[in-house]
Amino acid sequence: MYPEDLKYTAEHEWVRSPGQGEGTVRVGITAFAQDALGDIVYASLPAVGDTVAAGDACGELESTKSVSEIYAPVAGEVTAVNTALDATPEVVNSDPYGEGWLFELAPGDPDAVAGLLDAATYSAGLSG
Amino acid sequence: MATQDSPELLTSPLHQRHVALGAKLAEFGGWSMPLEYATGVVKEHTAVRQAAGLFDVSHLGKASVRGPGAAAYVDATLTADLSRIAPGQAQYTLCCDEDGGVVDDLIAYLRADDDVLLVPNAANTAEVVRRLAAAAPEGVVVRDEHRDHVVLAVQGPAADAVLDGAGLPTGHDYMSFVDTDVDGTSVVVCRTGYTGERGYELVAPVSVAEALWDRLVAAGEPHGLVPAGLGARDTLRTEMGYPLHGQDISRDITPVQARLGWAVGWRKPAFWGRDALTAEKAAGPARVLRGLRAVRRGIPRAGMTVTDADGGAAGVVTSGTFSPTLKAGVALALLDARVAEGDEVAVDVRGRAEPFTVVRPPFVEPSVR
Repeated sequence: MYPEDLKYTAEHEWVRSPGQGEGTVRVGITAFAQDALGDIVYASLPAVGDTVAAGDACGELESTKSVSEIYAPVAGEVTAVNTALDATPEVVNSDPYGEGWLFELAPGDPDAVAGLLDAATYSAGLSG
Repeated sequence: MATQDSPELLTSPLHQRHVALGAKLAEFGGWSMPLEYATGVVKEHTAVRQAAGLFDVSHLGKASVRGPGAAAYVDATLTADLSRIAPGQAQYTLCCDEDGGVVDDLIAYLRADDDVLLVPNAANTAEVVRRLAAAAPEGVVVRDEHRDHVVLAVQGPAADAVLDGAGLPTGHDYMSFVDTDVDGTSVVVCRTGYTGERGYELVAPVSVAEALWDRLVAAGEPHGLVPAGLGARDTLRTEMGYPLHGQDISRDITPVQARLGWAVGWRKPAFWGRDALTAEKAAGPARVLRGLRAVRRGIPRAGMTVTDADGGAAGVVTSGTFSPTLKAGVALALLDARVAEGDEVAVDVRGRAEPFTVVRPPFVEPSVR
C-alpha cells in the first residue's frame, strides 16, 4: 500500500527521487489519500516554471464529494505536470503511485527530500 | 470523513450488508448510511443511468395518517392537491410553515380516503409528524413509523428486469404503487425515485429487509445492478435539478422561489402557508432557484457566491457538484429574479471567478416514465 522506495508527507503525498527529469523528484498522493477523497474528477495542477516553497498549496484535486489542496512537499521549481490527468483524472484513484502522478519539481535543496517521512513512519501515523 | 460507526447515529436494518460490501458511511439526517461502496460514486452513478442501482434509503421517514377523513386532512394541510390522485397513486407535496417556508418535502401515498402513507426526509420526520398530529381532527391518527420499515430504491433502465427477476410486480404507472407479498408480509412497490431514471421504491417491514435486499442483489446480477450510495443519489438528483430539503428548499426558501408551484394546489381553499405563498406568487418572488452549468472546469459547491456579468452580487449556490454524465460542473443556485436563463454569471470557486451559464434544469434528460 505504501511503497518502501518513496518518501511521504503528513499531507498524504509521496515523493519519488529521482523523477523522470534530470535533478527532479516526482510527486503524487498516497493510496490513503485517494481512497479518502473518493472518485477524483478534476486535477488543477501547478504550472511548469512555478517556484514553490515547502508546504505551499499549489493545486487542487476535486472529487465528486469534496476538494483537497495539493501541497509542495519541498521547495523548488515545477519542471513537469501530468497533463494526462486533464482527460483522465481517475487514474489518480486507480494508479496513485504510477500513472496518477501529479507533478515533478527540481528541489532547491537536494537533501530536502531525505528529511521527509519513510513508508513505515507514514503508515504508522495513519493508524494513530 | 465519517468512515467509522458513530454510536449516537441510527443505522439501517441493512447496516451489516453495507459493512460487508465495504461501504463508506456518512451521516444523513441523524443516520449512518452508505455514502458510496467500494465501486465509487462515478461508477455507481453511471450504473444507474445505464443499467440499475440498488439504494438503501431507509433513513427516509415513514408516517401514517389514518382514520375517517385522513386524506381530506392531508389535502387541507400539505400543499399539493390530493384530490387529483386516486387510491394507489402517490404525489410529491410540501409541508409549509404559515410564512411559506418549507418544513419538508415529501411523497404522499394515497391508500384510501382514510389511509395515507407519508415519506418525509429523515431529519424532518419528527417535525412533520408533530405538526400533523397537533392539528389532526378527532379520529385522525398520525403515527411515526420511521423505524418500522426499510425503503429500498431500484433505479435505472434495467429496474423492471431486476424486479421481474425478484418476483416483484412491475409495469404500473409512474407515481403509482401496488402491494405485494414477500415471504408472507406486505411490501409496497412504488414507481417513484429521486434519480431521473425509471425505477421503483419499495417500502418493506424491517423483518424482510435482508431477504429483500439479497433477492434484489441476486436478481440484479445478470442486469448489471450495483449497490449505490447516497453520494451517487445526490449527483443523480442534482443532474435532474430535483431540490434537496435543507439546501435548495428550506424554512427560508419557499416553493414559489424554488419554482415548485406545480406541487401547490393553488385553487384549494386551505393548506399550510396558503396566504403567504399566494401573496408571494402574485407579487413575484425576489429570488428564483435556477440551474448553472460550467463553461470551463469549475465545480460549484453549496454556499459559493454568484456574481453577475458586472461583478454585482447575484445569489448563492444551494447545491453543486460535478455531473458524471456531462463531465461538467452543475449547480442549483438561488438567484436574484433579474437574472435570466441564458445569462452568464460567475461563481466564486475558492477565489477564482469561474464562468457559468444560467440554464433551466434538468441538466440531463429524465427517463422516469
